[in-house]
Amino acid sequence: MARVVLDDLTKRYDGGALAVDKLNIDIKDGEFICFVGPSGCGKTTALRMIAGLEDVTSGEIRIGDRVVNNLPPRDRDIAMVFQSYALYPHMSVRDNMAFGLQLRKTPKGDIDTAVEAAAKILDLERFLDRKPGQLSGGQRQRVALGRAIVREPSVFLMDEPLSNLDAKLRVQTRAEIARIHTRLEATMIYVTHDQVEAMTMGDRIAVINEGVLQQVGTPKELYETPLNRFVAGFIGSPSMNFIDLKVSNVGGVITLKGEGSELRPDDAMSALIRDSGLDTVTVGFRPEHLEVGAVDGPGLGVTVTLDVIEFLGNDVLVHGSSEGHDIVAIVDVDNQLKVGDSVVLSAAPRRLHVFNPVSLARMIGN
Amino acid sequence: MSAVQAASLPAVSTPPKRRFRVRPSRIVINVVLAAVAIFWLVPAIGIAIISLRPESAFEQSGWWTVLTAPAQLTFSNYKTLFSAGFQAGGVLDSLTTSLAITIPVTILVTVISSLTAYSLVFGRWRGRTVVFLLIVAMLVLPLQMALIPVASLYNFIGDTTGLKIFGTVIGVIIFHVAFGLPFGIFLMRNFYTGIPHDLLEAGRIDGAGEWTLFRKVVMPLGLPAAASLAIFQFIWVWNDLLVALVFLANNTHETLTLFLYGQTRFLSSNYWIISTGAMISIVVPLIVFFAFQRYFVRGVLAGAVK
Repeated sequence: MARVVLDDLTKRYDGGALAVDKLNIDIKDGEFICFVGPSGCGKTTALRMIAGLEDVTSGEIRIGDRVVNNLPPRDRDIAMVFQSYALYPHMSVRDNMAFGLQLRKTPKGDIDTAVEAAAKILDLERFLDRKPGQLSGGQRQRVALGRAIVREPSVFLMDEPLSNLDAKLRVQTRAEIARIHTRLEATMIYVTHDQVEAMTMGDRIAVINEGVLQQVGTPKELYETPLNRFVAGFIGSPSMNFIDLKVSNVGGVITLKGEGSELRPDDAMSALIRDSGLDTVTVGFRPEHLEVGAVDGPGLGVTVTLDVIEFLGNDVLVHGSSEGHDIVAIVDVDNQLKVGDSVVLSAAPRRLHVFNPVSLARMIGN
Repeated sequence: MSAVQAASLPAVSTPPKRRFRVRPSRIVINVVLAAVAIFWLVPAIGIAIISLRPESAFEQSGWWTVLTAPAQLTFSNYKTLFSAGFQAGGVLDSLTTSLAITIPVTILVTVISSLTAYSLVFGRWRGRTVVFLLIVAMLVLPLQMALIPVASLYNFIGDTTGLKIFGTVIGVIIFHVAFGLPFGIFLMRNFYTGIPHDLLEAGRIDGAGEWTLFRKVVMPLGLPAAASLAIFQFIWVWNDLLVALVFLANNTHETLTLFLYGQTRFLSSNYWIISTGAMISIVVPLIVFFAFQRYFVRGVLAGAVK
């Protein structure tokens, strides 16, 4: 069990490409943190630097009390689960799990106990003598987890461990990993591009884009107060809608208008927008916070022409457009909307996120 | 649609013929293959039978007469050849000399090629590709071109250091290893590039150093390639005449190929010795082939990743 600190961690490849730019994260002992971001954002590179598989260009990695920048992977007290599982194909499941312990000259009896225990947790007891080639994808993934567990490392590193599994197995294995985390109380760093995975598993989530850390926080914090437009759009499914609105200040009364949309801000929002002096702002609102019908008083109203309606059961997912902006909303099935309808969708002021259209930083919300 | 219709028809029409039908193309292929196999085997069978017939019979009738008179077969040729024992110039001595050259060459080429390939594929030093390309370039270098330069190099070393390499088994081994390595490295390197790097990274995290990774992960996975390389190498060196002829000159011990070559005469060759010796020289590579054959298992990498 250990705290992991990334201090200005930077990776620049030989060609000059900057993969990770001054990453600062303090991961608490026993915490489950997810690194999430689109493909190529540098999250895997960051993980590989922590593992010792990639050289650090500058900055520092501390695991526990030690700076590990120059330690080989085996001396960092970590275990890693690879996206491809990376099981040794010529060894049995038992040997795959025991390999790391054998190399550490652990007594045979202790190895057997550790392997049996891990196999029991992961329900692999029947497969111990099989080769990885004789197992299904889900079973292989569990062997890869088992190989990490038997080592009892202070930090678990997981690189998109579920992305090769089908949807059902993914949900099962997700729960399995969460259980293992509770049981072992180990620090886990989990890399994924799937924000749903990150939201459901992580104690905290670090959102990374283009090598730069965008925001670290609990899933709730990221959902409710995204610090910039990228985080707002990345977290949540379906993603947040954005529209640009022009600010008009008539005698101190602020109104925001777009083509087919209008926002009447409440007092706090008015003050902020007035003080910012901006003449355009980007307003974000989540599909699940939209309601059919106009609102009286402060709030946002968008007139949308519907072009696709997806039935979800209790709700419907409607896609439409409002003067060039695509708008998605989840509304009650009772509204009985049809393709081609033109409806007003509205959101309360506390559901709105306002971003500076230039810096993309958050101005106000909630 | 037609299948649905056919299924709904009453089952009185034609009975299923398919199981008994052999496609004509199949027959043609089999006949051609059998013909090729027989054509290929006739000389070998001929040599085998000649070696089993009395020496005198060779000039009286063809080997195929055995088909009608099998009683003439005898092991006397083998007995005569083996009775010389391990004397220099005898067939058993040649057999040992051939083995003394071929076994070390095969082991050295396979081991050195595997290690070099590991470094070329998984090492982290600059210029790996250039070195590999140089090695590939050496593949096209004909062996004959090097005979005289290497012979004079051996002599030069002998003259300056007193270390006698020319005319010794060691000299032949060094020459064969040097000329076996480019192909060996090429083969092993290309096979190793198919091994996922993830496996080595997993090994590094598990605590393995480079040597352990090679021995416990890469070498077992590369066994099929190493086995093919060993077989090729063994057979090439075993069948070599040219290098032995140049570098074993004046040595009392000779290889099997030299022994057989020595039995050819301008007017009347010792066919009974040649055929018997040839049979002995066929047996060894066959043993090697069948011993390593089980490593040609397909799909050794199955289940490594994904």
